[in-house]
Amino acid sequence: MIRAYSVFAALVLTTLFWIHFTGWSPSHVTEDKGVPRSVRDNPGSYRSSYGGGRSYTGAK
Amino acid sequence: MALTPSPPPAVTSLACPGCGAALQIRAPGRSLVVACVACGALLDAQHPDYRIIERYEGKGAVTPIIPLGTRGTLEGETWDVIGYVARRTKVAEATYTWFEHLLYNPTAGFRWLVEYGGHWTLTKSAAGVPKLAGQEAEYLGDRYRHFQTAKAEVAGVVGELPWQAKVGDTAVVEDYVHPPLMLSCERTKEETTWSIAEYVDGDTVWKAFALPGAPPERVGVGAAQPSPYEPHSKTMLLLLGAFLGAALLVHLLFVMFAQQRLVLDAVWEYHPGSPATASVESAPFTLSGRASNLVVEISSTLAQSWTYFTLTLVDEETGAARTFGREVSYYFGRDSDGSWSEGAPWDRAWLPSVPAGRYVLMIEPEGPGPVSYRVRLTRDVPRPLWVWLAVGLLLVPPLLFWWRQWRFEQRRWEDSDHPRSGGSSSSGDDDE
Repeated sequence: MIRAYSVFAALVLTTLFWIHFTGWSPSHVTEDKGVPRSVRDNPGSYRSSYGGGRSYTGAK
Repeated sequence: MALTPSPPPAVTSLACPGCGAALQIRAPGRSLVVACVACGALLDAQHPDYRIIERYEGKGAVTPIIPLGTRGTLEGETWDVIGYVARRTKVAEATYTWFEHLLYNPTAGFRWLVEYGGHWTLTKSAAGVPKLAGQEAEYLGDRYRHFQTAKAEVAGVVGELPWQAKVGDTAVVEDYVHPPLMLSCERTKEETTWSIAEYVDGDTVWKAFALPGAPPERVGVGAAQPSPYEPHSKTMLLLLGAFLGAALLVHLLFVMFAQQRLVLDAVWEYHPGSPATASVESAPFTLSGRASNLVVEISSTLAQSWTYFTLTLVDEETGAARTFGREVSYYFGRDSDGSWSEGAPWDRAWLPSVPAGRYVLMIEPEGPGPVSYRVRLTRDVPRPLWVWLAVGLLLVPPLLFWWRQWRFEQRRWEDSDHPRSGGSSSSGDDDE
């Protein structure tokens, strides 16, 4: 367990260093134009005064 | 250190006065009773004619796990199995039975090799009376926690014993644990005796007595079974501290030495329907150093509206373009629940691994209303998200380790008088 954890931690730290060094990112930078669609069409619709929870708020 | 094997004990042979079966007394002069293997009759080993103390008509006859007369070496001493007692206790209609092998060495005296649920302990008389304080007992500087108090009844006897044990005899037994040690107090009307036991692995017992096959399978966690996690717990804590420190240090070094250089800071306006503001281009700027990230920050005057920005980063020398889109939207208001808001008038994006070069940024906004916006580009910024993610990952194995350690102790104590709450037992990892 101790050995496995040491190997795992070494991998995590190496990856952290590499990500910082290269500026790599796994996430997609572009946001979908339709997000947040509900906000555009009906801002505040998630609030409890609308019945609580998320619900269909219509098309754009 | 070279061990000198003990000489075989002097053996006295006799015929059982009850059934005529051949019996042997391996600790003559020290054994008080001998139970016939064949008929179970209990004989007075001190009497010249070995008179019968009790006849059980086979009721008290039991078959030892380790046959009588077997010789083995445990903890550097040679032992002969000379007696065997099965004892039981009833707890809430359930009967629990354990088995005690009496071991004899002419020099070292007696030991008990006790088996319960595949867990073995080697027991000897305690060197003094432990100090009791509440639910704890102190013995030779160690603190033992109370585990269980039970009324133990002799269920069967075979071979020799150094006291007059009879089937049906009872005693109150109190156990205190400090794995791998266990203190036991046995109280009868006549006396109170203390013994100290140490956990022995079943495989060790099997090897010590050269027994065929495999030892009985372990069930659950033994009261005195040493935790496989305990010896590593402190190391795990130290490693966790070291690795978390290393992760923070890596981040800190990049914060100290990264460029974090502002390469573009410009303000534009967008008016729907105005071709002049539908597409703008920044002044050229230079990104230097190794390929690293570029932070794009957009702040705006948006309120109750949205704007979608299509941004293209163009390398002027190679013509390579990287296009990405960001939406900025900000809504707020007040209703029966109070004030609310959604989104923000600003946005931040991290462009990964942008090579050095001379660039321009092209921006194409679109939205329902006019907006003034500012774009800032910062080169080579260490992202805190990664260090927090690393910290989270580094925490997982120790937390799993400590959870397993807690589960192990929980399972040890679930059969005690002090069960720990927090979940049910499982049989899948019984033999840890």
